[in-house]
Amino acid sequence: MKLNRRNFLSLGVGVVAGTTLSPLPWKLMDDVSIWTQNWPWTPVPPDGEVTYEKSVCTLCPGGCGITVRKIDDRAVKIEGIEGHPVNDGGVCLLGLSGLQLLYGPTRIKSPLKRVGERGEGKWQTISWNQALTEVAVKLGELRSNDRSHTVACISGSDQGTVPGLLNRFLTAYGSPNYIRTPSIHDSYEIALSLMHGGQSSAGFDVENADFVLSFGSGIIDGWMSPVRMIKANSIWKNEKSKVVQIEPRLSNTAAKSDTWVPIKPGTDAALALGLAHVIIKESLYNKDFVEKYAFDFNAFKTIVLESFGPDDVAKITGVDKKTILSLAKQFAGASKPLAICGRGQGKTPGSIDEVAAVHALNALVGNINKPGGVWAVSQPDYIKWPEVQMDAVASSGMKRERVDGAGSEKFPNANYLLNRWVGAVNSSKESPVQALFITDANPCYTLSDTSVVKKAFDRIPFVVSFSSNINETALNADLILPSHASLERYEDVPLSAGLTKSVIALSKPVVKPQFNTKHVGDVIIEIAKKLGGSIEEAFPWDDYETCLKATLGDKWDALVENGYWSDPDFGVPPWEGAFATGSMKFEFLGVVRARGGEKDVQAKHLFTPVTIEGNEKSYPLTLIPYDSLRLANGSIGDPPFAIKTVEDTVLKHKDVFIEMNPETAEAYDISEGDYAVLNTPKGKARVKIHLFDGIMPGLVAMPTGLGHTGPDEYLAGKGINFNELIGPVEDADFGLDVVWGIRANLTKA
Amino acid sequence: MKKEHKHENTKKFGMVIDLDKCTGCGACMVACMAENNVPFKKDESDKLDSITWICVYKLTNGKSFPDTEICYLPRPCMHCSGIGEHGHSPCVSVCPATATDYDHTTGIVSQIYTRCFGCRYCMAACPYHARYFNWWDPVWPEGMEKSLNPDVSPRMRGVVEKCSFCFHRYQAAMDKAYTEGRRELEEDEYQTACTQACPAGAITFGDLDNPDHKVYELKKSPNAFRLLERLKTNPKVYYLSSRDWVRKAGDNYLEAESKVKKKIV
Amino acid sequence: MTTLDDKAKEVSPDVVGDTNQTSSPDNCNCENKGKDSGGFILLFFIIGLAAALVAGWIIFPKLLYSQKKQPIDFNHALHNELVEEGCESCHFFREDGSFSGVPKLAQCIECHEEVQGEDPEEEKFVETYVANENEVPWLVYSRQPDCVFFSHAAHVKAAEMDCTVCHGHIGESTHLKTYEENRISGYSRDIWGKNIAGFKKNTWDRMKMDDCAKCHQKETGSKGACFQCHK
Repeated sequence: MKLNRRNFLSLGVGVVAGTTLSPLPWKLMDDVSIWTQNWPWTPVPPDGEVTYEKSVCTLCPGGCGITVRKIDDRAVKIEGIEGHPVNDGGVCLLGLSGLQLLYGPTRIKSPLKRVGERGEGKWQTISWNQALTEVAVKLGELRSNDRSHTVACISGSDQGTVPGLLNRFLTAYGSPNYIRTPSIHDSYEIALSLMHGGQSSAGFDVENADFVLSFGSGIIDGWMSPVRMIKANSIWKNEKSKVVQIEPRLSNTAAKSDTWVPIKPGTDAALALGLAHVIIKESLYNKDFVEKYAFDFNAFKTIVLESFGPDDVAKITGVDKKTILSLAKQFAGASKPLAICGRGQGKTPGSIDEVAAVHALNALVGNINKPGGVWAVSQPDYIKWPEVQMDAVASSGMKRERVDGAGSEKFPNANYLLNRWVGAVNSSKESPVQALFITDANPCYTLSDTSVVKKAFDRIPFVVSFSSNINETALNADLILPSHASLERYEDVPLSAGLTKSVIALSKPVVKPQFNTKHVGDVIIEIAKKLGGSIEEAFPWDDYETCLKATLGDKWDALVENGYWSDPDFGVPPWEGAFATGSMKFEFLGVVRARGGEKDVQAKHLFTPVTIEGNEKSYPLTLIPYDSLRLANGSIGDPPFAIKTVEDTVLKHKDVFIEMNPETAEAYDISEGDYAVLNTPKGKARVKIHLFDGIMPGLVAMPTGLGHTGPDEYLAGKGINFNELIGPVEDADFGLDVVWGIRANLTKA
Repeated sequence: MKKEHKHENTKKFGMVIDLDKCTGCGACMVACMAENNVPFKKDESDKLDSITWICVYKLTNGKSFPDTEICYLPRPCMHCSGIGEHGHSPCVSVCPATATDYDHTTGIVSQIYTRCFGCRYCMAACPYHARYFNWWDPVWPEGMEKSLNPDVSPRMRGVVEKCSFCFHRYQAAMDKAYTEGRRELEEDEYQTACTQACPAGAITFGDLDNPDHKVYELKKSPNAFRLLERLKTNPKVYYLSSRDWVRKAGDNYLEAESKVKKKIV
Repeated sequence: MTTLDDKAKEVSPDVVGDTNQTSSPDNCNCENKGKDSGGFILLFFIIGLAAALVAGWIIFPKLLYSQKKQPIDFNHALHNELVEEGCESCHFFREDGSFSGVPKLAQCIECHEEVQGEDPEEEKFVETYVANENEVPWLVYSRQPDCVFFSHAAHVKAAEMDCTVCHGHIGESTHLKTYEENRISGYSRDIWGKNIAGFKKNTWDRMKMDDCAKCHQKETGSKGACFQCHK
């Protein structure tokens, strides 16, 4: 029996036949096909029990209620809470991307100490004990040298227990230098304090307004509380309420409005006064309010009638006379007209003249503290802690003038002036700030002229950041004490972004802390304990959670259950008793008087155009920023999902587009997609050109929220930070940064 | 008996999107990405390979300053039912792998990733660009895979994906109904992620054939239109716009078309 | 070079069995080969066939599956006697209609905080898993790929099917059988069925898509659309 060729073939045929008759090939085919469908690197998300946890989104000041869907202990989706007083079920794209910030690989996993140069990004991992000891030693040193007042803190908010604890710490330690980052709220707070009297923030009853006159406010582009505003916009559509958008660029808000009124940038206050002129002249104002509850209507009337006639205003603003007359009549003729301002998302304070003029319009039609109007809302007052017992060092430190000059003789009306603080640090021989704490803020990115801000940071010997990822500011810190992400911690969030309700929300630990991070509140309490003495005594709580529960008292249960607590008794006072000015009445010229126009009111006291940097000859164009909900431009940058939604006419690969009217482009012989170099007195940038009919000729617009250096490859290095191209312009009387643009020129690259 | 039962269960899920209300904020896009484990890359600025099951397009009226107008248009999968509701949607009819089918009981066009072998015929066939190809294996940065939704399978390289009208939410709602002894859903029990998230309330979702559902009346509005209706794809996504040019933009018209028509007639 | 010769030889008929088959190969290799192989060609075919059949039916299944022991030998029968609501006592439906599947440790701890009986398996369970709060890495016989969506509610609640229709009488078992894992696909042998040819006697013998489709066709008149069972 030989295995010759024939037999071998026969054997082979047998094997083939046998194999075919066996399950082997069929089974293998099936198994292999299943194998090809299940690559080991394709994740299989584990299934489990679905639960929902109610909390609040803290990624912007909007304060939307969120409910987080969990699968066992994983958070998988963020959704809006239905029936929530702010967002009623809706949620914006940044909030929806929140889990990418929670689970992102660029989270700081433990305390870090800088080992390289500032900004170099070289860090050493240290223990919490070492980190806190280093802070306590440094603070102890400064204090024993009587320099407690050289410690400062920059925070994104001044409401709630965490800012409260930080402020309390500074007080007990002996420093007046607690600074909130700037926004339109600064201007509104000052304007309201001068026109209404007392401390309050502006609430806008947008849902009930039937005619909305918006001076550049990006109502649906992220102004105040973004989701609430978009909901209001839909209510307006249903109710056929009119929206008029006044701004030089066709923003989304302008596109959705009933009437878009393009205006020369920076002249909004003049237009508002022009409208006031028509309303007064034609006697369309609310006589009841003006006669009984306003203090200085006649003086206001005189100056407005004298200096802001429609012809003059048309010349200043570029809005034609007919439109001015018609707008004034429509506004005054509406039953619940509402005038608002705050450019774009209101991330910069803007001019107080503008706020004052726009608010005067509301006063003229008497819709202050009324449905559909502007309300002066006082903050929920629930933090009742025993007063700090200051020792001698603290007392003398607290008597010092603030580094930013807010509240000083020169700027008595300002609460916080971060732009001036930067200037003060840079201009003194030795930095007046020796140690700085930053939480919930990214000033090295968000302030205008970031290079100057970074310079100021370089002059501060000890910078501590509480950031949970390496943003531009944390990059310039010496120590990073990473905070829990908002979905990992308890924190009260009093809501104030233009709300006409009194609501406290509670951020809850939806998931366990993922890394070796600590609550900012606990860090403060622990540092206080390390410093001992009267500082320790000012913090009688074991930890932050104890403090928070004690502070919230009987609201705690409702907060845990619903994620928010709404004051059922909240309301604003009627006109009678609403005003706390010297005259106890509404003061049309409150801001003017603070400008020194007490005796001789002149037009310039009501409206002086903000001069932007750069001369017209060398910089023939004007560069303005624009805000978009798809590009987070605050202390948090876009997570991967959010940056994915950015259009390819805004960002292509690493290049940002600037918008330009085709007419302007023709003069520069530039076409769509061309590269160009944009020069401003502050800096230059290589950009691409997007031709857009919706922008006023002579202007170029650049999106905010790009040009980050961190935190991950999804965002870093894409586009240009608008704040690198612009510098602050200070209001001489109030100290605020009122910049709205900068002159620029363009060369084809 | 059983067939009868099946018949009365037949639904035609669809959407009505109010473009007057849509603000172009992009929340629907991200709600969809988060709900459906849509992958993301380091650079998503090349929109041809950027996967967005619902994509918000920006339309302009083409007029110059200051008469320019903008309208945003979110585009999910249209779940076309074809002429006479036969389910011959452009993609289903070309798929050689039966990786996509038309469900006559819900009117939803499926996409089965494990079945798809990536020939991309369906992408070529779809007139709405609603289908996307996975040119790369999806990569979630370390830790971020924790946020993946177990109700939707993550895809692999080489397959096509698209909007499913969040069908897994229908399944979940049906599960709940079954355990409560019901076989019918209330309108609000099954809503897509984009509908739920939309801050403007611009998206309405429901059974187009059910008079109790909001979409039933909305789709009859004189302002309602569908995209590329003349292709007879019979989409189940309706749009509302009070603006003439927007409604006109919903279909393709050649510049000289009106003249041509006249000649033929 | 020899192919022509071979072919020529092959045409000669093999009438009788060649008696010279044992002759020396040196003598007439070519001729003998032709003659010899004539009788064996079938034999070799049969050998090949048999070998392949043995390989395919007996060896292949042995090679295809690896034998894995469950971490704990769970006694379904014992537990079934002690609980009131049958399978659903432990494998319950959640309020939202989802099915809990294999119980989590937290559920077991409700009774097994400490060792209750004398079974060494229970002791092992308490010491290894309960004490350390580690979930038991059960090997699930019915685990399906991620692309499969299966609604227990639709089958058990709406169609009022019995668990045994798909899962067999596992609830009456006193020991967990060895988990046979498919080395290629990674799933249990129970999905394809014990029978390597895929023949089934009972409804629970296989859990492949065709089995679902067959039943759906029979019970509902349609195999159902893709999304009914896929995600």
